[in-house]
Amino acid sequence: MDKNTLSAENRRKNILSAVLGIICIIYVLPVVAVVINSFKVNTYVKTNTFDIPTGEMWAGFANFIKGMTFGNYPFWKSAMYSTLITILSTALILLFTSMAAWYIARVNSKFCKAVYYLCVFSMVVPFQMVMFTLSKTADKLHLNTPWTIPIVYLGFGAGLAIFMFVGFVKSIPIEIEEAAAIDGCGPLRTYFSVVFPMLRPTMISVGILEIMWVWNDYLLPVLVLDINEYRTIPIHIQYLKGSYGTVDLGATMALILMSIIPVIIFYLACQKYIIKGVAAGAVKG
Amino acid sequence: MAEVSLRHIKKIYPNTEKQKKKGDVHRVSHLKVTAEGVVAVDDFNLEIADREFIVLVGPSGCGKSTTLRMVAGLEDISGGELLIDGKLVNDVAPKDRDIAMVFQSYALYPHMTVRENMAFPLKLKKVPQAEIDKKVNEAAEILGITEYLDRKPKALSGGQRQRVAIGRAIVREPKVLLMDEPLSNLDAKLRNQMRAEIIKLRQRINTTFIYVTHDQTEAMTLGDRIVIMRDGEVQQIGTPQEVFDHPANLFVSGFIGVPQMNYFDAKLLKADGKYTVELDGKTIELSAEKQARLAANDVEPQDITLGIRPEHIALFGEGSEMFHGTVDVSEMMGSSVHLHLQSLGKDVIVIVPTMDLQGIHHDGIKAGQEIAFTFGGNVVHIFGKDEKNLEF
Repeated sequence: MDKNTLSAENRRKNILSAVLGIICIIYVLPVVAVVINSFKVNTYVKTNTFDIPTGEMWAGFANFIKGMTFGNYPFWKSAMYSTLITILSTALILLFTSMAAWYIARVNSKFCKAVYYLCVFSMVVPFQMVMFTLSKTADKLHLNTPWTIPIVYLGFGAGLAIFMFVGFVKSIPIEIEEAAAIDGCGPLRTYFSVVFPMLRPTMISVGILEIMWVWNDYLLPVLVLDINEYRTIPIHIQYLKGSYGTVDLGATMALILMSIIPVIIFYLACQKYIIKGVAAGAVKG
Repeated sequence: MAEVSLRHIKKIYPNTEKQKKKGDVHRVSHLKVTAEGVVAVDDFNLEIADREFIVLVGPSGCGKSTTLRMVAGLEDISGGELLIDGKLVNDVAPKDRDIAMVFQSYALYPHMTVRENMAFPLKLKKVPQAEIDKKVNEAAEILGITEYLDRKPKALSGGQRQRVAIGRAIVREPKVLLMDEPLSNLDAKLRNQMRAEIIKLRQRINTTFIYVTHDQTEAMTLGDRIVIMRDGEVQQIGTPQEVFDHPANLFVSGFIGVPQMNYFDAKLLKADGKYTVELDGKTIELSAEKQARLAANDVEPQDITLGIRPEHIALFGEGSEMFHGTVDVSEMMGSSVHLHLQSLGKDVIVIVPTMDLQGIHHDGIKAGQEIAFTFGGNVVHIFGKDEKNLEF
């Protein structure tokens, strides 16, 4: 009787493992396709998409060199703008949303509650709903350069960041801030000397999530930025077209690989903080 | 080093809109509720002398921590005046009051080492680094935490953390040192040890202490004067001996002293200008001091609640003045035995030394045994029906 139950249990587990394994493969397949095709000669990318590049299919690093030198917009410029926008946006989001979250968590007023729920609500509004009006507004307010677009990112990133920070701040005993007030800190000093360092786990997880989002984002920069002057890496990849609209898929794959490698390394290095930060916010929030 | 004056201090927490709408503003424990809100502290008056050690004591929710937080500046004062060294500080920010505070939860900065924690208030005051180092090292030596100076708080035990918190408070040499139940998070043994250290610390540093606790042992051992509070109101202010010997009312008499005082329904009689108490048909003669106090208050004969502390009841002897009871439970405490008796329709507690001065052992008293006890008229407490001590 017991043996039967055990074997039935094992069978169920095996089936589940198989199903989940297949789902994992489906998820990973596009990434694998990008990796193998980035080393494949362009003509074989369409015909032998999932073949390992060997012999005459093997292109070596030719695709990478071609991708970076293609067209009249230098790749290093795109990489620079992507890096600039990502760093500036993430820094802005971390600084301002953590401050706002501290205020919201500590000042128990109707205004704070309203702001908090507005932020949470903003997470469920799809970007596509607001993108056209946004691109016009951004133009009018001159938020259409790599130095000013981080302000738009701040707006879109605030919802999730405030949600996570508020949850974490609530878990910090208020006595620590009271002790700081007695020790001689004003609100700003309390924030920078006491609260900010304590927020580090959530800072890291929010930072990682925001970096991945901003770095990979295509739609917002394409709508807001002047494409001829400023291109981020995703836009650069989109413009890898030859004359008559022919696309060099090998070079495209190579650039996609180059653009996702930093994010993947970053994610793998910091994933334990993401889980920690999300859990801290979720439990105490 | 400062005098602190609390004059008619009041703290009112406004009723929330929800409560106002519902009209159910009367559901907050026993606190007084007015149209303005819940009165957490009502008409608190206290003059604290320079270098005095004042202990605020009372059950949870009595307003003791709220009072302390008002002195610290962490709570707004709804009414009255708070003066430190003669200066009105009602609206002065906590950092400008020259006070320091030790919290129950230690409230150490987790990202700083012990040294940085202790140096933090001095750094904010822009004290030169050499002086900071000197003061931190001195404080660490007083508190025995020198070897932990480079550790983070999470690597310390509860007792060590509390020492660091005290260290952070004393390096500033504040005018007033506030302590909000600093020992409550520690285990019993460590609490006794830290209590002794606070007494030693007090002798070494010249500052005024205000200490909040719910533990009457801490209050009795530490305080020069004790303030006993209940439901936001001061019940009695006095030295530990005063509040123990002359509790102002039933609440104070029950709160101070472990085990609690025994109470009996009795009658206060007066014949030929002399007061006596009648309990269970027996007459208890009162001491001359009590006679004088009752006479001075011109107390009328009346039904009273007679209070007698467990340690003031004696077991020996037989005679007309003895009361009788049956032992319910006998608790052996080592140096003494706590006997729970059923007598005069009440549960009466008697503390008997395990061996008295005559060399008689009392540790053999078992449950179910019939015993006789008595007490003198000099140690009884007489409370009127309004729960106030009639001697006051």
